[in-house]
Amino acid sequence: MTEPNPVPADGEWHGVAPSYLWVDLAGQALTLVVSAGATVIAPLASGVAWLWALPAAFVVIFGTSMLLTPRRVRAIGYRLREDDLVFRRGIMWHRQVAVPYGRMQLVDLTQGPIARMLGLAELRFVTAAAATAVTIPGLPRDEAATLRDRLVALAESRRAGL
Amino acid sequence: MNAVEPRAPGEPVRADGPGLPDDGWRRLHPATPLLRGGVVLVAIAVWAAVQLRDVWVTILLGDVLGEVGRVPEDPAARWVFSNVGLALLIVLVVIIGILVIGWLSWRLHSYRVTADVVEEREGIIWRKHRRARLDRIQGVNVERPLLARIFGAARVEISVAGENANIRLYALGSATANALREELLAAASSARAARATEVGTDPGDSVDAARPGVISQRLQELTSPELDSRLSTPDSLVRMDLGRLLGSTALSLALPILMGAAVIVVPVLLTGQWGVVFLVVPGVIGFGAYAIRRVTRSLRYTIAGTEHGIRVGFGLLSTTNETLPAGRIHAIEVTQPLLWRPFGWWSVRINRASRSTRDGAAGQAATTILPVGDTDDVVRVIELIVPGLDLRGALGGAGAASGHAASLDAQVPEYVTSPPRARVFRWWSWRRNGYHLTDEAVLLRKGSVWRTLTIVPFARVQSVALSSGPIARATRLRRVSVHTVMGPIVPSLGAIDVVDAEHLAREAESRTLVAMVSQR
Repeated sequence: MTEPNPVPADGEWHGVAPSYLWVDLAGQALTLVVSAGATVIAPLASGVAWLWALPAAFVVIFGTSMLLTPRRVRAIGYRLREDDLVFRRGIMWHRQVAVPYGRMQLVDLTQGPIARMLGLAELRFVTAAAATAVTIPGLPRDEAATLRDRLVALAESRRAGL
Repeated sequence: MNAVEPRAPGEPVRADGPGLPDDGWRRLHPATPLLRGGVVLVAIAVWAAVQLRDVWVTILLGDVLGEVGRVPEDPAARWVFSNVGLALLIVLVVIIGILVIGWLSWRLHSYRVTADVVEEREGIIWRKHRRARLDRIQGVNVERPLLARIFGAARVEISVAGENANIRLYALGSATANALREELLAAASSARAARATEVGTDPGDSVDAARPGVISQRLQELTSPELDSRLSTPDSLVRMDLGRLLGSTALSLALPILMGAAVIVVPVLLTGQWGVVFLVVPGVIGFGAYAIRRVTRSLRYTIAGTEHGIRVGFGLLSTTNETLPAGRIHAIEVTQPLLWRPFGWWSVRINRASRSTRDGAAGQAATTILPVGDTDDVVRVIELIVPGLDLRGALGGAGAASGHAASLDAQVPEYVTSPPRARVFRWWSWRRNGYHLTDEAVLLRKGSVWRTLTIVPFARVQSVALSSGPIARATRLRRVSVHTVMGPIVPSLGAIDVVDAEHLAREAESRTLVAMVSQR
């Protein structure tokens, strides 16, 4: 099993770029503005005081979540082992997935507007199982591109059907 | 590969081979347009004839009845009546148009099998050219709707991984369909195993040999469960018992019916309004139709291992016969509804990589591989699907001979089960909730009221996940999910001790890799 482009199968956990924090926060802030904005209309129009509870709840929930975001971003990690990729994320809701290279059907590289400003990209791995759902966010663009090329080469050399 | 070269009935023998103008392309059964759209046409014609009866009667028998000049009340009929010539012309044009379109679509619909791919071309205005690699074939289904059986035709559906990515050839002559299936399966299994399989036993001869007369041939085809009885070599592993089939259907419907009855009876008693009873009529019809369909479909159920894969047959009047080459089954689930337990009945479902929206009763043909069977049947079916899986051992060697609830849910030491503290999450089933690892597959046993046993062969696992929420982590419990292709089965086991869960995930990962290496 010799590959032309050997991967440093170091088994080390790699984190995502710290600046990914801003991408995550911006996404949450946008959701907060939209949901709070939509629920603010009712109390403003009717003047019923307790209707303010809904937008207030959104602010509290998203505020807590945004405070915890730095920890959550630090918890995202991936690890290249000899034959599979391990991805983990989440503190409260922890999830760790191992995907054999040979099972990868395709690797997607996507960039949102804020991520592009920060020079970040995310990699999505698709296997024949929808439940695999592995997306590594917040990778520096060059790292993402190299990683994608390596993984595609690995998947090619270890292809094993469905 | 092209040793078998069946030809459509009535077509002249022609040279096959790459480079030739007609390059092995074959057409479908000549009766195809009639079978596909003919029924609708006949129905429309009958409807029109009935609707415009007055007009026909007046036009044809007007003189006799002395009713010339009587103008029908119906405006459409009145128009036809006053423009007989034009109406006939329109009818003629429509009929000719339909015939031409039918003929064209038949002319332009063709398929061929080459050394690596099977191809299909169709369409008059929007042409479609579909090509599927032989080693990617997930199964070949020969389906014979009642009407097609009368014409000695069959539908061949070649499943390829993906959503509605199947190649559907309707209609082919029975013998052609049979030969095509053999050819494809031989190619599909040998393309994988890279070994020279003996390609059929030249069914081309049998086509010519079995020609004592069309009528007797049709009768033989209608009565034989398989298209060609010679080819359905081994006997079915499971004999479907009518009593068991009826009983299981009735019992699986009993709970919904009781609940429905309760929903109806309570308001009737409270209000005294008996009219409410009529609200159940659609429900009753629905349940009845489901029950009848299930029974007629499963009555002639067969399952057998053939040299090219597992063959599952269903259907009494309209039959389907699906062959799954080895290794196309991604997950297996053995379930037991509560009311089946006293009888020791189970049903077996599978996950497979190809899906079709046209699969029959609630996808039964596609995913239910054993509608109902006792423990012995289940063990035999699973041994067929995952050869080498020592299920009897894994089931606790209860011998299954007792025929009753035992065996499949026996308290086996080999199962690693939830710790007692998981009682909070698995009230009744924490003792049963567990896994068992073999070299070939992982077995997940769940449920105490509704019992299930999920089996995932490592050779088909896509990825493995270990997850937990806040409460689970506080109690040091984890969930392990084994990801397979999408289907009715979602293999996952929760409320397992963190050490056991990590062991399960690690073992599943490494055994998957081992299985993948031997697969390459």
